[in-house]
Parts: sequence; C-alpha cells; structure tokens
Amino acid sequence: MAASDSDDVNLAYDDTADDDYFYLDDTDDDLHPPQASDSLDDDQLQGSDSRNGDDDDLLQSSDRHDEGDHDCDDNDDGDENALEEDDQDSPISGQNFSVLTEADIRHRIKDNIAEVSSVLSISKNEASSLLLHYNWSVNNIFDSWFADEKAAREKAGLFLEPLIESPDHGSSICVICFEDYPCDGTKSTSCGHRYCNDCWSSYIKTAIADGPQSLLLTCPHPSCRAAVGEDMVGLFASEKEKNKYFSYIVMSYIESKKMIKWCPGPGCENAIDFVAGSENLDVSCLCSHSFCWNCTQDAHRPVDCETVTKWMSKNSSESGNVNYILAFTKPCPKCKRPIEKNMGCSHMTCRAPCLYEFCWLCLGDWNNHGTCNRFKGNPEEEKREKAKQYVIKYTHYFERWATNQNSMKKGAADLQKVQTEQIEVLSRIQAQPLAQISFVTEAWKQIIECRRVLAWTYAYGFYLPEECEAKRNLFEYLQGQAESGLERLHDCAEKELQSYLKDKISVEGFIEFRKKLTLLTRVTRNYFDNLVAALQNGLSDVNSGSSSVSKKRKSNWAAAAVNAAPALDTNINDNSATAPAAAASAMEPWACAYCSYENQSSATNCAMCGRGSWTCDVCTYANPRTSATCAMCTEAPEP
Amino acid sequence: MSTPARKRLMRDFKRLQQDPPAGISGAPQDNNIMLWNAVIFGSYIKYGSISYSGFFSGWDCSPDDTPWDGGTFKLTLQFTEDYPNKPPTVRFISRMFHPNIYADGSICLDILQNQWSPIYDVAAILTSIQSLLCDPNPNSPANSEAARMFSENKREYNRRVREIVEQSWTAD
Repeated sequence: MAASDSDDVNLAYDDTADDDYFYLDDTDDDLHPPQASDSLDDDQLQGSDSRNGDDDDLLQSSDRHDEGDHDCDDNDDGDENALEEDDQDSPISGQNFSVLTEADIRHRIKDNIAEVSSVLSISKNEASSLLLHYNWSVNNIFDSWFADEKAAREKAGLFLEPLIESPDHGSSICVICFEDYPCDGTKSTSCGHRYCNDCWSSYIKTAIADGPQSLLLTCPHPSCRAAVGEDMVGLFASEKEKNKYFSYIVMSYIESKKMIKWCPGPGCENAIDFVAGSENLDVSCLCSHSFCWNCTQDAHRPVDCETVTKWMSKNSSESGNVNYILAFTKPCPKCKRPIEKNMGCSHMTCRAPCLYEFCWLCLGDWNNHGTCNRFKGNPEEEKREKAKQYVIKYTHYFERWATNQNSMKKGAADLQKVQTEQIEVLSRIQAQPLAQISFVTEAWKQIIECRRVLAWTYAYGFYLPEECEAKRNLFEYLQGQAESGLERLHDCAEKELQSYLKDKISVEGFIEFRKKLTLLTRVTRNYFDNLVAALQNGLSDVNSGSSSVSKKRKSNWAAAAVNAAPALDTNINDNSATAPAAAASAMEPWACAYCSYENQSSATNCAMCGRGSWTCDVCTYANPRTSATCAMCTEAPEP
Repeated sequence: MSTPARKRLMRDFKRLQQDPPAGISGAPQDNNIMLWNAVIFGSYIKYGSISYSGFFSGWDCSPDDTPWDGGTFKLTLQFTEDYPNKPPTVRFISRMFHPNIYADGSICLDILQNQWSPIYDVAAILTSIQSLLCDPNPNSPANSEAARMFSENKREYNRRVREIVEQSWTAD
C-alpha cells in the first residue's frame, strides 16, 4: 500500500481540483435531465458509502488518500483496503471522531447536492439553493418538498415560471445601469428580471465581497425573492470570487452540522466529525492540534471542562496574588496597608506617614507591649494560616501543571524536528527503511499526549478534596508512577536516540533500541489510558469510607485500575487477572512468586528468598510480590 | 475615468433633471460627481405628492397637518465606486428633529442599509427620505426623545418640528 501511495495522492488531489465547482459541469441545464448525470451520481454515492465504512479510521493521512482513490477509479477495492486499514495500529485507541479535510467536506457537500437533485429531479443549482435555505438538512427538504412543493420552492426562491415575460428579441434597457442592451447581453434568474451582464457581474462580486450572506443572494429587484445561486456565480464571478463563494458554502455546511466543528488549531482548515455519544471528548486533528470537543479548549483528559475553566480562570486571575498578600503580609493595625515582614525582629514600624509601631505577632501597640506568647486563639490568624497553605498548595500544582504543559509544547516542537529531519538521518545512518523508523514518531506522539494528561492530573489533584485521604493517596501513587514511567520514555526517546543519529552502531543494537522504545511507548500508553479511565471514574475503586490504605495495597489499586480499563492487550489482561486476587488476599498469607514459600501476611518480603514487590526494569510498572512476570509488559524481572 | 458608478450617476442626474419628483432637488457638487447636494422641501410632504410610486406603500399624512410645511432641508449624498451595488452615505446638513434621524444627521432607513437594491437611484433615495419625514418608524428610534414625543405627545412633537422648519430658513 505504501508503495503506491504517491500515485494515490495525485489522483486524490486531481479529484479535488475538479471539486472546486460542486456541479458546474451542468450549469447550462436549467432543468436537470436525470440520465445525463446518472453515472456521476453513482460514483458519488458509492464514494460516500466507502467513506462511511472508513469513518473509524480517518485519522491517518494515508487512509484518506485511499479514500480519494475509491472515489476516482476503483470502488471494488474499497472493502479490501478498509480491512487492511483496520489492522493498523492507530495512535489513539477507540476512535470517537474523524478528521475532515476540505476535500472531504466538499465530497460530502457534493453528495448532498447529488442526492437532493436526483431524488427531486431538479438541477444541482436548485438543489444547492434548497440545501442552503434548509440548513443542509436533506430530510427537511424532502419533508417540505413532498408536503408542499410550491412552498418549498418559494422558500428557496426557485420559480418554475418566470414572474414577468421577458422579450426574447430586440433590445431592452437594463434597469440598473439604464443602458440599452440586445437580448443576448442580458441574463435573468428563474424570476425573469433581466439585467445586463456587467451589472450582474458587479452585483454578484459586491455580494461575495460582503460575506457569507451572499449564499442567500436574491434578484436585484427590491421585491423579488428569486435565488441567485451557484450557476450565476459560476457565470459572472472571477476564479478568486468563486473560491471565496465555495468556501462560504463549506463554512455554511460545517456550521449547520451539530456534530462537526472546525479544528481551532492555528491556520488549520480541517473539521472534526464527532461520533455522537462518545464518552471520550478529546479529539486530535491531522494538524496535530488536540482539543476537547465540548469546550474546544486544548485537550484536557482526565479533568472535565468545568474544572478546566475553573483552573484556567484561577491561573489568569489575581486571586492568587490576593492570597499571597493575605498569607505573607499583615495589614498595619492603624492604616491597614499590607506589610511584609522583611527583618527578623517582631517590632514593626509602619512606613511614613503612619509610623505606627506594633508587634508582628499579636499586632498590638508596641508601646504597651509586654508578651504575647500565650495562646488565645485568633480567627484572623487562622484565616491567614489557611490562605498561606492554600497558596503553597496552589503553587505546587500550578508549577507542575505548567512544567508539563511546557514539556508538551517542547515535545510538539521535537516531534516536528523528528518528522522533518531526524527520521531521514536515522534512516540513512542505520540503513533502515523509513517504515521501520516510524516507531520514533509514535513514541513522540505518545510523549506529547502523556505530558498533556499528566499536566491535567495536577489540576485534578488540586481540586481533589482533602478529606478523601484514601483517594488522594491512590491518586498520588498513580500519578507518581505515571510520571516516572513517562520520564523513562521521554528520556529514551530524547537522549538514547541521539547516539543512533551520529553513527551506525550495530543492526542488533538498533533493533534492541527499537524494541525497547516501542515497548516503552506501548506500556506508557496503556498506563496512561488506564490512569485516565481511573481518574474519570472519580477513582471509584477506592471505598471512601476506609481512610487508610496501606502502602502495599496501592500497587494492587494500580493493577485494579489496569484491569478496569477496556482496551488492553490480551496478554497483559491474562497476567493482571491475578492482581485483584492479590488485592483480596493482601491480609492473608501469601506465596512467593519465585520460591513459592508461604509467607506470613505481615511480611513484606519473602522470608525465604528476600523478594518483595518489585518495579519492572523495562516499563517501571510496580508489580505485587505475587506475580513473577510484569503485569504490564510481561517482562520477567532480573534475577 | 468613467467608471460604471460615475456613468450611472451621470444618468441619475440626467433623469432627475428630465423628470424631477415634486419637492426634491439634487445635483452633484462642482467637479465631483461622487458627492451630491440635495434639498427636500417640506411643503411637498403631502398625501399624493410622491410621483415616484411603486417602492413604498402606506402613506397616511393628511395634507393639512404636516408640521414640515415650508421647511427646506439640506442633505449630502456621498457615493462610492461600488454604487449602485452599495448605497450612498446620506446625511442631513440641516438640523433635524425626527425619530429616525441621528443627531449627526445620518438616517436610519432600511433601503439605505440592508434593503438596498441596485435598482434604486438618487430620485428613489430622496423620495424615500421625503416620505420618511412624515411617516417615521418609531420602532427603530435614532432620536429617542423624538420617538417618545411622536408616540406620546404629538402636539409637542409638532411644535419641535416647526422649530426645526423655522431654523431651516435662517441656516446658510
């Protein structure tokens, strides 16, 4: 498939070039003869079928080129290709959306026009006017058309008979410029009001320059509602204006669809078609911009949109500063200006002109001050202490959130570099085909995604209630594991790669590296998927009633989270199936995974061979002492 | 030099001279066809005075009680090269008191905004404004005081209009 890709690309693009005019091939047919465009219609309908089949897989650009291929020549191969594509490992599991490029959108529009035109036996020009007036709802058009064709025609400004008789010989005066014209120098739309070609041209140009309302343009006559549609635009507008007009059509199509939104990425012209009812709201465009479908902010799994809004407004607002002032300053007891203590002793003197002297600790007048060491309880003081803690806490989470956000942005830049330079260098130096090197880009994509998730877990952590100690413990444990796992992957992709960019080491060495990085990518992806699932679940595995979770059980929670996740490789599933059992038996005697010695419940390490819970060397997953192979990557530990 | 807009404005001028609607006059300024001066005469704001019919309906001023009688109201019309696809900018130079005329003299009239059609010419614009004077639309007030007075206190409204009319005689 890869070998023929370049040809497919060209075909696909040639196809789009024709699409610039949604139907201009038959503009001259005022009433559309059904036979004339049957072949075209078939082509389009089949094209749309094969596309529907592929909708799950539109993420990868090669898929879309294939799709162009279906539309162009051979529809027979469609199913076969679709099967092949299904086998590919898509970077994000569980497709909840598909990306539509401008060409895809044009195809859909064309399909809509063709459908309306063939069902109602009207010209494509009339069909597109109807679609524009009925907000692109094919069903609504059919309903109103078959209920009352005349009313539907009127709504869209399509007249069967001209409103006025127009002379078909001699000359007439154009009522816009008042010049005399022979009949063939004038033109009318379905109403029969004739204007000269120059006036039509400038009328249409001005309307297009004015914006998308030109899609509902009517005859220049003040009281006439006849539609001036694509056919007239095709006749009288310049190439540039036509393109503008068609981009309005694309815009109007996207805006009419509730389940399609533009990608908000800078300079991106793709749209995202969301699968209604999907739980995962994060979508990512071909331009590599990821965003939340619901709020169109940057993607923010596992936290919800509300939390994001709260967090972002918190970050931007002054509330942090206010709290700082509250926490680290005290108001002068006399003039109430906030004072920050900058020297060691408690004898404070306020700035001129106040010059009030007071004790920093009790805020009492210094002149009458004896001692203030006796505790009396001070609500003001408590409030201040609370605010101080709050600022420290916020700073902690914000710093980590921001660091990961920056790492993510750096990662995106690195990915760009990898894709544009390093891949080729690597392919040359290590004498490997490009296809064998895609694991590096995969790794980087995963790093970006993980950094994003990790950043948002800090917002999650900030809002996780203090009272749920068990949840907090589990959360922090899971987050810590995620962080170290990701660091490992990031390190491998960033640093270890460097040596392979310089010299050819050995083929074996490179294959080893590939194996390692691929495995790390997969393991990290699984871990983060599970993490997101667990956090979105509100960490429901924790029974919030039990406030203390022993350290040993935490790893079992992690394993349970792994188990709860839907999409797991089967071999991992098999192994982790033992984890819940281990969780249940945590307080019972346990059998060592290596020497099978039966240990006391209180023993953390095996009394016979000394082994206990262990961290996998390959993926860093923390395994319980009862499993001999890593529950995550199936590696066995070093003896 | 002779763009479609200028050509059309020449024709507008010719038509206005050959077949002038009652109570209005208009002409381009010397050596600038894109900027016109126009005058609307209040005396002709009467039932049936509009010869340029067809574009408007509903005309309910009775001949006797129009307070605009005797006024001479000056306007300017600034055209662009987009004319007649875009309406000109029309402003009263004379001070006005009217629900749909802003303090700066600009006019709130649908055909000068979203209901514009390239079929309208200068005569149509001026006759539309003429008819607006005694047939205001209080629902889209540009001068809220005038709008309130028009619907609540016709007597006071008429008095204020007649003040404006008198001012229009003395203004240069």
